[in-house]
Amino acid sequence: MARVIVVTSGKGGVGKTTSSAAIGLGLALKGNKVVLIDFDIGLRNLDLIMGCERRVVYDFVNVINGEATLNQALIKDKRVSSLSILPASQTRDKDALNKENVGKVLEDLGKIYDFIVCDSPAGIEAGAMMALYYADEAIVTTNPEVSSVRDSDRILGMLASRSRRAELGLEPIKEHLLLTRYSPKRVEEGEMLSVEDVEDILSIPLLGVIPESQAVLKASNAGEPVILDTMSDAGKAYQDVVDRLLGETIDFRFLVAEKKGIFSRMFGG
Amino acid sequence: MADASIEFKGSSFTLSVLHLKTLVLADIRNDLAKKVAQAPDFFYLVPIVVNIEKIASSVDYQAIKVLIEEFNFTFVGFTGAVSKEQRKLIRELGFSFVNTTKVETSQKIAIAEEALVKEAEKTAAIALSKLYTDKVHRGQIRSGQQVYAKDQNLVVIGSVSAGAEVIADGNIHVYGSLRGRAIAGAKGHHKAQIYCQKLEAELVSINGNYWLSESMEQHWSSPVYIHLNDNELTSSKLI
Repeated sequence: MARVIVVTSGKGGVGKTTSSAAIGLGLALKGNKVVLIDFDIGLRNLDLIMGCERRVVYDFVNVINGEATLNQALIKDKRVSSLSILPASQTRDKDALNKENVGKVLEDLGKIYDFIVCDSPAGIEAGAMMALYYADEAIVTTNPEVSSVRDSDRILGMLASRSRRAELGLEPIKEHLLLTRYSPKRVEEGEMLSVEDVEDILSIPLLGVIPESQAVLKASNAGEPVILDTMSDAGKAYQDVVDRLLGETIDFRFLVAEKKGIFSRMFGG
Repeated sequence: MADASIEFKGSSFTLSVLHLKTLVLADIRNDLAKKVAQAPDFFYLVPIVVNIEKIASSVDYQAIKVLIEEFNFTFVGFTGAVSKEQRKLIRELGFSFVNTTKVETSQKIAIAEEALVKEAEKTAAIALSKLYTDKVHRGQIRSGQQVYAKDQNLVVIGSVSAGAEVIADGNIHVYGSLRGRAIAGAKGHHKAQIYCQKLEAELVSINGNYWLSESMEQHWSSPVYIHLNDNELTSSKLI
């Protein structure tokens, strides 16, 4: 059975798509068959981050409406052959999806893939509800600031009440906390909530902490998921997240501000 | 078009009724004088209805009205189970006749009141017995969620997030942090209390008296119980 993982947050701009892309690619690099689905109908960002925006012919909505087959719409990643992307439509809106047909598509994908990663739109409306409805697991992406944490809390409530698992009374969705854009220095200066603060408020297991990094923006613009930048902190942190998702126990890193040594000070490292 | 400036509506009032047992005006004046002397302020300008049920037919209505007004009552009209002709006469003389099937009505009211009291006792008994039962919620109550324990206490095993709301007609116990809103004694219960392991609430309310965060500074982030003391919210440390 495929693991259906939704990457969600409530709030926009916290790094859902960046995380979906990095985690999806990371899982595929580990030899898993992975499909990334862009649920953000109308905006279409995932294919940009994945660097396959010029290869989109058919999209998710075409498949839902029976205008194209899954095989026609799925885009195979050029870097890793076990990874596919199902892009969102840019000309439709979020109402183009319906539960029944989405369920059918996920079921078909589940027969082929090990992981189905759903990149959720922001907000708590129909689009976000659709992305989380069939999930087995949820990666709740949160920035260490009050409003993002509040929105994540709201989404956690939705996961517990509005998902298929909740409606059928099955085992609840497995929740993971992914803290992104974390800056230990700003936490020390009291400008940002700490990992402990966020864990205390949301009280769900921590999956990873991604440090604030220039590498993320660079990766997004280049269409190369940041996990491929193995030299960057963010890339390493996403690699840890992937390993944890696959059941490994790995210590958290990048939680404290680095003390700059004399050499790095001198050479601006 | 409706008249915006006035409106007629029916209302019930308690009026004093003076029961006359004789037609001898002198006797009435004597007894009235004695009564009024006991509490002149109390009777001053009190609206009064005169019951003529117990006296013979040929009544001098005008004289009675004048007599009543002598003692500074406000005369309203006559009442009593009397013949149609008599009522007609009263009307023709320019007095109002206040209709009441006195005995029956009062009995009915008494019966109805008794039933009401019994009903109230019954519901109070149910409500009170239910207040000793608990609605238990396991797990965190998230932002945007609302949990209501109707006629019960609410026990939350977990935290109440900011933006969440817990309401109980009885007490509220939070085994975790209370960061959202907690409303205890929601149907009006001044003995309701709120307990939590960490008070960081947006609002707490008991029986309609409420505090916002700024009023909780004294015991902020502490294990606390909140109760009413003479209709004033009071917080005390649990440990």
